[in-house]
Amino acid sequence: MIERIVLRGYRRFAHLDIRPIPGMNIIVGDNESGKSTLIEAIALALTGKINGRWAVEELNPFWFHSKDVAEFFAKYGSDQSTQPPEILIELYLRNEDPLQRLRGVHNSSGTDCPGVRLRVTPSDAYAVEFRDYLTSRPPPVIPVEFYAVEWRDFADQPLNQRPKELAVAFIDARTIRSTSGVDYHTREMLSEHLDSSERTTISLAHRRARQEITDSVLGPINQRIASAKSSLHDRPMGLQMDQSSRTSWETGVVPQVDGIPFAMAGQGQQASVKVALAMSRTAGSTCLLIEEPENHLSYTSLARLLARIEALATKDQQLFVTTHSSYVLNKLGLDRLLLLHDGRPAKFAALGDDTVAYFRKLAGYDTLRLVLARKLALVEGPSDALVLERAFRDATGTSPLDAGVDIVSMGGLTFKRALELCACLDRPAVGIQDNDGQSSADILESVGHLLDDSKRHLIVSDPDYGPTLEPQLAAVNAEGALRRVLGVTERADLATWMKNNKTDVGLRVLDSTEDIVFPAYIQEAVALLR
Amino acid sequence: MNCLTLAVAGGRKTQSIVDHCAGAAQGRRILVLTYTQANQRELDARLSRHRPLLASVDVQGWFSFLLSHWVRPYLPRRFPQRRLRGLNFDGDPGQYATGEPRFLDAEGRAYKRHLAQLALDTNAACASAVLDRLHRMYDEVHIDEVQDLNGYDLEVLAALMQSPIELHLVGDVRQALLRTNAHDPKNKQYMGIRIKAWFDVQASAGLLEISHASTTWRSNQLIADFADSIFDASWGFEKTISENSSVTDHDGMFVVLPEHVATYMERFDPLCLRHSVSSAVSLDLPFSNIGVAKGRSADRVLIAPTKPMVDFLCKRKPLGDLAACSLYVAVTRARASAAFVSDLGGKLGLPVWTP
Repeated sequence: MIERIVLRGYRRFAHLDIRPIPGMNIIVGDNESGKSTLIEAIALALTGKINGRWAVEELNPFWFHSKDVAEFFAKYGSDQSTQPPEILIELYLRNEDPLQRLRGVHNSSGTDCPGVRLRVTPSDAYAVEFRDYLTSRPPPVIPVEFYAVEWRDFADQPLNQRPKELAVAFIDARTIRSTSGVDYHTREMLSEHLDSSERTTISLAHRRARQEITDSVLGPINQRIASAKSSLHDRPMGLQMDQSSRTSWETGVVPQVDGIPFAMAGQGQQASVKVALAMSRTAGSTCLLIEEPENHLSYTSLARLLARIEALATKDQQLFVTTHSSYVLNKLGLDRLLLLHDGRPAKFAALGDDTVAYFRKLAGYDTLRLVLARKLALVEGPSDALVLERAFRDATGTSPLDAGVDIVSMGGLTFKRALELCACLDRPAVGIQDNDGQSSADILESVGHLLDDSKRHLIVSDPDYGPTLEPQLAAVNAEGALRRVLGVTERADLATWMKNNKTDVGLRVLDSTEDIVFPAYIQEAVALLR
Repeated sequence: MNCLTLAVAGGRKTQSIVDHCAGAAQGRRILVLTYTQANQRELDARLSRHRPLLASVDVQGWFSFLLSHWVRPYLPRRFPQRRLRGLNFDGDPGQYATGEPRFLDAEGRAYKRHLAQLALDTNAACASAVLDRLHRMYDEVHIDEVQDLNGYDLEVLAALMQSPIELHLVGDVRQALLRTNAHDPKNKQYMGIRIKAWFDVQASAGLLEISHASTTWRSNQLIADFADSIFDASWGFEKTISENSSVTDHDGMFVVLPEHVATYMERFDPLCLRHSVSSAVSLDLPFSNIGVAKGRSADRVLIAPTKPMVDFLCKRKPLGDLAACSLYVAVTRARASAAFVSDLGGKLGLPVWTP
């Protein structure tokens, strides 16, 4: 089990130090926040490979953190010149008996535990060439040919293949239509899924079958060719089935889904099969990396896949799942969230068990908007959202979205749950709640501990002007003006119409070119949001 | 409980380890250590005949063991920021070197000379994490040819004995010809064959259970009796019993006169042994040094005796420790016959072979 991950100078990460939890870890973040990079780094340190190729073959200048590189070249030759950029990936593992071979203190914190680390540093062997290169006013690109990739365990023993104690499976959502039938990662999983005697049996039968073809079918053909050999070549020629390692059973044996070869199956099914294969492996401590399981899957297939992931997860398995889907996040457990933001992890305090269960049940709720928003406005429903948007635009001249404010409708969520999540993430948020006839003091009492004068507020409308948004609007605007905004004629009763057409009220307020006065609590919210 | 089996030459010491490994249960994690590379190759070769084994068995040399399990993982705890870059086999940092320069050369290689001490210091610096790690890696550790250990290596052995690691030691103190560290003055009183006294100390401290295996499958009884006679009764060795009852036309101990050596060579094709390159230079025979021949077997052996060996044979003048061990190793290579080349003939107290 991975207990700690340290990245330095790797792609988006200047310095990342996170402590994953046992079991499921859900990595969320905006696009470009480094989710995939983190997954890739874990795979790299565990296997020494990236996309099935050795790190040293794949090493390129863009692996280095761009700020490190820029700083190095900017300062090179001056008195403040810095060390050449380096990459460090460290995985600290739990101090379990089967991992003792990897145990030692060779890591950046000197911790005594099992682990693996991958470093990319200037090679001692090319020190002179590297210096010459730098003095020749080079372009600001790291010359990776002068770098060495060092992959070792924490006992400082070099690794040349994945330590057998560590099983890792990487499941990405990429299209699998390669000529070999199955992609590299799936093939790895497939062969590890079988135990050694099963592998031997398949391999033997496969070779026998090929030999059989050579002996039986190709035999007579070879005799015929031999009789005509003089015309072809001066030595006996013949045909035989290829028995070299290229044709080993691994490339010829592919999984099938419902009788359809794996590569021909739908992408959703491919993803499901890969997950099932990886998770039911017998190997001891398994690390499972799943990239965006929601890709290629319908809502129902996704639900099935997630149910399968939960069912197959054992205590020896650690999962890292990246996702863009609130559904995945809610379903797999909000408390397992690992939030990345600009290459940095967000602090995330413990979330109450009941809140986690609550979001599981409300799996369709767009939690990720709450999680990812820079500034959050929480409102009761769509009409409140639309009115707030207009109020914000009137006050600031820009739309809330352009100002980085995400207005989220509660849609069944209570303010308390939403605010608890925001408090855990230390997110700024402004909640705007109807009084529904209660005093604001009563309402605030239950959520007071989640609020923070500097960043989290809950604003409750004044009961004197009505229980909900509509009477509040009616109270501060002249009736004639409001009828013009809403396009309601004298024949209809304004209050009743507004009550029955809440969303239309919001839409017409948003679209209207007339001036509108907003209730005090809305104005207060806008002031806090700008 | 840690156990030590002191076996006689030809007592199938190495084979007992191989048999143990071959019969060990599925999943049992075993480490087998030995000092010489020759013995390491022998262990590997014999084990590979039983592969695939149910148990997982690693074979390692003693120094490689100290480097990879004691020093490398925890060196930064002893010397911050330092990494082990290898072994300096012959180097000497000088008698007065202290601290890091005493243990590591300029390239970061550990001096073999002080390796065991560095291993112990490193273990101390990391609060015995070395032993904890080993204990969790292996269910049992076997050491073959344990009599070769000396100096600080004995302290390493003591640390292993005091840890929860299950130790199985096998050796023959009468074959104590080699030293893991000949220059190490530590535990000088337990050098060579006197390691027996060290084992006795450990046994009386309750750390070790000593058993004796007095059966030889190699030498016949005539040779075994002669080999036993090299050490006087005060050592307390049990009488060796031979299980080799095969009879040839030339069995037992003999003397060969120099003028008959050529005929003897032609007739018997013996393994020729000498003390060292500088001994028996007058004889042009395909000699091996006795120390190198350790572990080998031959039907017949022809030995060029040293002066003390001749004195021992003629006058029963007691041999020094090392010379006694050397003579013991030399004669016990033989299954059927062992002969000394000497112009003193019958004065050696053995039958003289004539063509």
